[in-house]
Amino acid sequence: MIRRALAALTLVACTAGLAGCGGDGSSGSGDGKGLSTKTITVTISGDSVTPNGDRVDVQVGQPVELVVKADAAGEIHVHSDPEQQLEYGAGTTTLKPFTIDKPGIVEVESHALEKTIVQLEVK
Amino acid sequence: MEPLTSSQGSSLGGALGQVFAHGIGGSKDLPIPLGLTIAGAVAALTVSFTVLAVAWRTPRYDAERTGRPAPARLARVVDSRPWFVGWRVFGMLAFAYTAMVAIGGDDSLINPLFGIFYVLLWVGFVPASLLLGPAYKAISPVRTINAMVAKLTGGDPDVGVFRYPARLGLWPAALGLYLFVWMELVYPFATELGPVRLWCAVYVAAMLVGGALFGNTFYEHADPFEVYSTLVSRMSAWSRRDKQLVVRSPLANLDTTPVTPGLVAVTSVLFGSTAFDSFKDSTRWVKFIQGNYVQDHGLTHLVNNLGLLTFVLVVALVFTVGTMLTGVGPDLPRRELPGRFAHSIVPIVIGYVLAHYLSYLLEVGENTLIYMSDPFSNGSNWFGTADWQVSYFVSDHPTALATTKVLCVVTGHVIGVVAAHDRAIHLLPKRHQLTGQLSLLVAMICFTAGGLYLLFAA
Repeated sequence: MIRRALAALTLVACTAGLAGCGGDGSSGSGDGKGLSTKTITVTISGDSVTPNGDRVDVQVGQPVELVVKADAAGEIHVHSDPEQQLEYGAGTTTLKPFTIDKPGIVEVESHALEKTIVQLEVK
Repeated sequence: MEPLTSSQGSSLGGALGQVFAHGIGGSKDLPIPLGLTIAGAVAALTVSFTVLAVAWRTPRYDAERTGRPAPARLARVVDSRPWFVGWRVFGMLAFAYTAMVAIGGDDSLINPLFGIFYVLLWVGFVPASLLLGPAYKAISPVRTINAMVAKLTGGDPDVGVFRYPARLGLWPAALGLYLFVWMELVYPFATELGPVRLWCAVYVAAMLVGGALFGNTFYEHADPFEVYSTLVSRMSAWSRRDKQLVVRSPLANLDTTPVTPGLVAVTSVLFGSTAFDSFKDSTRWVKFIQGNYVQDHGLTHLVNNLGLLTFVLVVALVFTVGTMLTGVGPDLPRRELPGRFAHSIVPIVIGYVLAHYLSYLLEVGENTLIYMSDPFSNGSNWFGTADWQVSYFVSDHPTALATTKVLCVVTGHVIGVVAAHDRAIHLLPKRHQLTGQLSLLVAMICFTAGGLYLLFAA
């Protein structure tokens, strides 16, 4: 009897614990209207790139603008669905802002260096 | 109606050759929320000790008694010749299609080969085997080819030239699985046509030679995909007893997993590699790999290889130590314990694999079905799926997705703990039955909490 009761109690406690934490967080995609543009400055010189794999929080539909300071022309890949490719020249280039339309982690990579510049944490 | 736009095709094609260690599929899941992570871990912890405290004290699962015969009509269908042949034909058609895109398709990410290899084959067989039983075995093209060759030469596909050495057990499959995850997670050109084609060709060649040498026993032990699928099917409701189709509770079914050398290696590769897949995208690892030290010394490859290997070995070590730290009776050597308990980690592996790959399977899997209509990337629509749009329903509901993932992990943990408990009662002498379970319980909690932590932090 006591065993049964204990088992039932555990089950209830666990379910409540899980359910209690399941409610927060936003879901669905915002329309992105009125969100300020997120600007990320990227410096590429030789084999090194800054930022170097950091996480950046952005919102679903928020415009993301990359300002690239580079010593040579190149290409940046945004691994969203579908993938986006952005070209930049030597010197400072402000790339056309893009948006991500679903939540997830999106990697932004330097094509030539084969390095992750930032991971966009899209919420 | 609209074919894949040329810009999309060319942009994806142009990305190949240089993209470094980036698998197929675009964005990845958001980390699960901290609250859910903790709730999941606490639930796993509580359930573990509750099972220990309140569960039965005499072994419950016994292959001879558990389960009941499947409904006669169902059994008739499943045991019929057309059913058997139908699945074999399906497998051969799928094989022929895969060979066709591997040989004649474009070296581009819209070639469906990548999705077939990394998503449908690797991940798709997990839910399929969970629901339907040993699915890969039913359609295995290498088994079919072996059977056809045997028929032509008048041989028996079950019997080869030699007996399969029992000592080898599942070790060849563990090696094969490791080579697959190495290809997927470590090899830098994993999304190029040539290497994937080569991998598949070597796989088929090895399987055909093995089948000729050792007969069908070889596939049961050495085909990585069949071993994985059949292992997962131990958690399904279906099994056979003396060739009769039996319906069993998944727990009773799991208990019938044969104790085979190399089983711990197989589960360790599966769990360790999935964990490494999570870990390698964490900011900490990315920053370390791209950091000055690794870069300056050209160690990227080495460090990635060591990372994967370490994850697999640590899982194996934790499990081995966890099962061996118990008192045993005089008739049971301690070194036999990891193998005897290995089945109990299977549900934990499945729960974690499902959690890790759920959105990947649904979204990249659907994308693969779309690409499959256009095998040569020329805008054709063979199966009428080319104009589908991938549904991002699960990604659009991150809280529901995260909750599902945690539930998968915790459910796997609970089933694993119960399976281990029953086995402990069966194996261990009375006075060690409870205390003997503690170390394995701790190991299991480590896996579950570690898995949840990676879902949270990576």
